[in-house]
Amino acid sequence: MIATLFVLVLLFLGAGIIVPLLTFSGDHRVHRSISLAGAIAGSALLAIVSAWILITGQTISWIFPTPFDYLTLTFSIDRLAAFFLLLIAAVSGPVALYAMEYIEHLEGGSRRHLLCSGACLFILSMILVVVSATTLAFFFFWELMAASSFFMVMYEYTGTETGKAGLYYFVMTQLSTLFVLLGFLLLFVQTGSFAFVTAGASFLSTLAFLALFLGFSIKAGIIPFHKWLPYAHPASPSPISALMSGVMLKIAVYGLVRVLLDVFTPDLWWGILILSAGTVSAVLGIIYALKEHDIKAMLAYSSIENIGIIFTAIGLSVIFSAYNLPELALISLLAALFHALNHALFKSLLFLTAGSVVHAAHTRDIEHMGGLVHRMPYTAVLFFIGALAIAALPPLNGFASEVLIFISFFSSVAVADPLFKVFLFLCLALFALTSALSAACFVKAYGSVFLALPRSPECGEAREVPLPMLAGPAVLALACIVIGLSALQIFGLAGFVVPIPDMFLVGVLLLVMAFLAWAFVYYPARMKPRIAETWGCGTLSQQPFTEYSGHGFSEPIDIIFSVVYRTRMKNERTFFDRKNCIFREGTADIRLLKVFEEYLYLPLARASLRAASQISRFQNGCLDTYLLYVFGTVLAIIIYLGWLS
Amino acid sequence: MTLPFVIYLVLNTLAVLAVAPLFVSIIKKVKAKTQGRHGPSVFQTYYNLAKLFRKEILYSPHSSWIMRVTPIVNIAAMLVAALFVPLVFVPEPVGGIGNIILLLYLLAMAKFFMALAGLDAGSSFGGMGSSREMSISAIIEPTTIIVFAALVFVFKTFNVFTMFSASAATGAPATPTLILLGISLFIILIVETSRIPVDNPETHLELTMIHEGMILEQSGPNLALMELSAAVKLTLLMALLINLILPFGLSTTLAFGALALAVAMFVLKGAALSVLVGLFESSMSKMRFFRLPGFFAMAFFFSTLIIIIEVFA
Repeated sequence: MIATLFVLVLLFLGAGIIVPLLTFSGDHRVHRSISLAGAIAGSALLAIVSAWILITGQTISWIFPTPFDYLTLTFSIDRLAAFFLLLIAAVSGPVALYAMEYIEHLEGGSRRHLLCSGACLFILSMILVVVSATTLAFFFFWELMAASSFFMVMYEYTGTETGKAGLYYFVMTQLSTLFVLLGFLLLFVQTGSFAFVTAGASFLSTLAFLALFLGFSIKAGIIPFHKWLPYAHPASPSPISALMSGVMLKIAVYGLVRVLLDVFTPDLWWGILILSAGTVSAVLGIIYALKEHDIKAMLAYSSIENIGIIFTAIGLSVIFSAYNLPELALISLLAALFHALNHALFKSLLFLTAGSVVHAAHTRDIEHMGGLVHRMPYTAVLFFIGALAIAALPPLNGFASEVLIFISFFSSVAVADPLFKVFLFLCLALFALTSALSAACFVKAYGSVFLALPRSPECGEAREVPLPMLAGPAVLALACIVIGLSALQIFGLAGFVVPIPDMFLVGVLLLVMAFLAWAFVYYPARMKPRIAETWGCGTLSQQPFTEYSGHGFSEPIDIIFSVVYRTRMKNERTFFDRKNCIFREGTADIRLLKVFEEYLYLPLARASLRAASQISRFQNGCLDTYLLYVFGTVLAIIIYLGWLS
Repeated sequence: MTLPFVIYLVLNTLAVLAVAPLFVSIIKKVKAKTQGRHGPSVFQTYYNLAKLFRKEILYSPHSSWIMRVTPIVNIAAMLVAALFVPLVFVPEPVGGIGNIILLLYLLAMAKFFMALAGLDAGSSFGGMGSSREMSISAIIEPTTIIVFAALVFVFKTFNVFTMFSASAATGAPATPTLILLGISLFIILIVETSRIPVDNPETHLELTMIHEGMILEQSGPNLALMELSAAVKLTLLMALLINLILPFGLSTTLAFGALALAVAMFVLKGAALSVLVGLFESSMSKMRFFRLPGFFAMAFFFSTLIIIIEVFA
């Protein structure tokens, strides 16, 4: 029954892939709508399937035999896979609903058919990655996921920005695939099987772990492999950004969790590695996000931060299990998974509403926005819920998962090694810093985008978006609120006892207090509120250019963390006289140093170019040389085989 | 939810609302005295609030619903946060009320709304206040969380209620670790309630104002609610400090005599701590804004030291 439903999900998505491709030249809205409706129906069914498996704890599996024994494709859905399927379903459905309207406002004519088809393929490939029970199937769909998302990043292929984004994304994602493949091959050498089976502790499995960790980190956007995110997200259409940031990054998390649980027996230092990578990504991610003025790039950096938080929790879990504290390890792992779900929900909510804002205001620069709360009231409320959730404010879902991570950190008292405890507390301090900075970041974002006066004429003429573009995010916002309020009950339903406060009670208390305050203060008020111009700091009326800008808002943080930003200020002046009094001319320039790009990516790229040019000498186009290579190879094989026998 | 807990909810809320303005006034009085002024009456804050509640509310035409809900959200968040810190009577915790992390995040929630309200009207004063407030709260956060972690460490519980009952049960003068923690908590109190040397609560000048800048646009009952929630925040942080370090008199039963004693003791201890805060504020000048990270770094190392001592002890 459940297996049939799952096949139905695949069929719906398959229809979503094929229908838009039926017409090669025409531009029919109905084909796109059918395709996206297929995605919505598929997601709804998938949600039912995965929720059922999560609650009952039943595992279902299929085997597709192939002529080659090694290459048997096995699929299975256990609770972990079901959880990630639920995550995919929860995001894909609302995103497809949003895209139904959004895609009609995109330019590109019949190219939009390809976008719909590609989006369905992307969702399908992510589902298949999660249900793969062999490393080979996992790898195959992993690559399909990478390729389909690459084409969607390149949707607006004419833009120069898109070209750069596409290149970055392509290189990084292929690098990730390469490491994942290496890891799986090493595992095959170790275990002799392509299934996810336990690999004993050995040098080879450590190597395999490192390769897989690198591969998954690149895909998840862990610093320093993060650079593709802030390029690819602004370039791609908003629903695609939402899918990539909300879901695809989580597939990498799934991969990591899967191999850690089923394949490896982690050492302590693996946990330290994951925890350090997570902490660094979290802190640096949010610090960079604060500096970013492109709203979608800002959200991309914030995704890096949240992936960092998830990795932090996974690292804690590995550390606790290495210290033989299974209960704490379970709590940390639950925290990581729960945060993955929550981040998927609120980040796709934010990306979708940001897409609406960009659509209405015709700019991605938050310095040119403002005042949209009056022009797009519903979008403003939806974005606000997302901002509250991502800033981890109670009683929303972001808080529910962060409190669980805090609790696992605080519980590290159980760890025996004193020095190690101090290390964990330092990570805790950085984690707290991250959390507080993300609140600052989203105050800045919300304030600049929605509040005060519009800072550009286009923004002043913005109008609210049509209903489907509100309905999709509204579903996500509702999910954020419901999960936040009933976090304790949800864990109870899944059969886990976690020490988090009852947020429902807190929500009720907040409502009661707010109602009492209203009843005592406003209800008996005799005078009606008056709308009048308030003091404009000396100007006659409030002007947009006197408002606090987003840049101004983050300036104190910019100065405090100037070491991290590495802002370069250059100012060159020439003078007419020798005592430097009479100014002739000069230039001044403030530049944000792209540390990772300039010190890591470019040197690596240059080195590989140099290596490539060395190697390309072998290919000189001369037939005689090639014959020599063949001769040499044959000789080597003969000698090698002779040696063996 | 049991009856004593419901009684606790009502009692604690009323108590915190009743004493909060008093402590604010005492601090003002002490500061005035040290400056050689006579200073306003200790009931002046009550009069101010009563006056503000009767005034009309003024909204800027550019402001949105953020401005309108912020006072309500602020006072609601602060009153719920105050429920997490029992002033005079400690019941059995129910449903995670008293969770120390949730307490911190309720304060953060109020701050989030207040900062947005500062940006709402588009005035540069409000924006400046919001920007500074969020920056300061971000860099003090590691210290706060380390101190809270140390508390969890020492008391082996996440719940403030359990911490207070453990502390009240021993009754005796606090351990050295707790005294060290008390110093850190005092620094957090100073920072979180926008006092000298971090912020100057008396002025509206652009050089000093952080908190006052953000609420510049508020008027009438809205302003009263903002002032009241600031006072409640001061009181609940003071209560956290007092009931951990000097818990004697704290009641764990609902007997009338014990409660009356507890109320009297709390007002007395709170007044003493307010005098201390006033003297502390008078003894130094406002720090330059960008000198603050250094001050916070000191507080951070101090609290990390406590953790290290506690870990190796």
